[in-house]
Amino acid sequence: MTPPVPRGRIIAIASGKGGVGKTWFAVTLAQALAEAGQRVLLVDGDLGLANVDVQLGLNPPHGLAQVLVGHMPLEDAVTQVGGFSVLAGSSGSGALLGADPAVLAGLLQAGAEARDALVLDCGAGLDAAPRRLAAAADILLVLATDEPTSLTDAYAAMKLAWRDVPGLDLRLVVNRAADARAGARTHGALASAVRNFLKRELPLAGIVRNDAKVPDAIRHQTALLTRHPASAAGQDVARIARAL
Amino acid sequence: MRLKTFRAPRMAEAMARIRAEMGEEAIILSSTRVAGGVEITAGLEPPEAEPLPLPPVPAPPRLSFQPLPDGIARPLLLFGPHGGGKTLTLAKLATRMTLTGQAPLLVAADAARAGAVEQLAAFARVLGLGLVVAETPAALARALARRVAGQPVLIDSAGCDLLDLAAAEALVGLCRIAAADAALVLPAGLDAAEAADTARAARAIGARWMLPTRLDAARRWAGWLMAAEAAGLALDLAGTGTGAADGLTRLTPEWLAARMRLSDPRMKAAA
Repeated sequence: MTPPVPRGRIIAIASGKGGVGKTWFAVTLAQALAEAGQRVLLVDGDLGLANVDVQLGLNPPHGLAQVLVGHMPLEDAVTQVGGFSVLAGSSGSGALLGADPAVLAGLLQAGAEARDALVLDCGAGLDAAPRRLAAAADILLVLATDEPTSLTDAYAAMKLAWRDVPGLDLRLVVNRAADARAGARTHGALASAVRNFLKRELPLAGIVRNDAKVPDAIRHQTALLTRHPASAAGQDVARIARAL
Repeated sequence: MRLKTFRAPRMAEAMARIRAEMGEEAIILSSTRVAGGVEITAGLEPPEAEPLPLPPVPAPPRLSFQPLPDGIARPLLLFGPHGGGKTLTLAKLATRMTLTGQAPLLVAADAARAGAVEQLAAFARVLGLGLVVAETPAALARALARRVAGQPVLIDSAGCDLLDLAAAEALVGLCRIAAADAALVLPAGLDAAEAADTARAARAIGARWMLPTRLDAARRWAGWLMAAEAAGLALDLAGTGTGAADGLTRLTPEWLAARMRLSDPRMKAAA
């Protein structure tokens, strides 16, 4: 038997609700890991509205869909940006919906080979596509803000993820927290729901403070740590990256 | 999880409202002091909230590839919808056999359509083959009884709507009298659901093979592929051109994969 190829961790980002900063967080986490010296592949698995390329100001000719349907090898579809690689998404292509989970998992594992980390933006929603992506993760980071809609959707995403993979390493990231205390309160509320209703503990991966530099970087289609390396949100994501 | 945030001047009032609105099962998720009182967020998990497992992924189409019968042990009968290319396909099969030194007997059970027999007769003349026009089941039986031992027999049938019960019954009768292997001739480019319905009907009539036609002219192959898969009809030869001598191509998984990739114009541009 050949020993398994050593590969980097697959770190998936999910949120349930859209609009809580999932794509931004995935991009920034990929950059933070790369700046810490890791070899990183960022995969945009957001089937509904793939936006990683837009946030990074890229115009990639190929992406996940071409790889999934077998038109090209993964490494040919990857685009280099700054210090990391990007496999762009394909909005509404449908390729991901019908993808065989085994093929998808194999593709992600191949992408993580010869790298230290694969950061995967799972996309919003609770349908089969984001669930399958989350199920392929070594670590699932669920992103939530303090809004009630985000809390209930993050809870639903966690419940589904644990149903699909009971032993999943799932951690919470609180995004857009007014301050550290507010972030801890948001974690406390979700951890309480998880403890009471799901009989599990909810580890906190970290809190990202609300920061006007984030929308500024997104508007300029530039990664946050490039445009505002000293920003509070950037430093928070870098801290999360170090602790992973 | 249902979640609701309550504000009240004092904790006791907030708690009373939570119990009144959400019941005893509600859990306090967070509480914080705000201007003019407290803010409490409570959560409740409805009992029916057990999520469904991930739906199974639809299995990829499974196509079967089996050599088409040679028409020797049993006659080979071609049937299918009007204008699907039955007669031309039969002529192509006859040409292939002639080129390998065989002299198949051609039978036209396609007397219903004006000109159908003439077309086949023209092919038979060119190939130097015998053609029998069997307008009735009895005539068909007589023709088959006269064939030389070891001679392949190819039967052309009238185009029909397979979903029409009377037409289907007539075909079943034809297959039985001829003791034939039946193959559906289905043109590419049909709507996938329509093609699948037709193929299932063909299977019910007794077909075990499908000969797709016009693969050279149709860009959308979902119809015939879905039909073959849905009905479990085996594939072997396909019509890929109008030439009698070179218009049939042997289908293999590799050939299909190569052709389907190149049919994507973006891939052509990238190649």
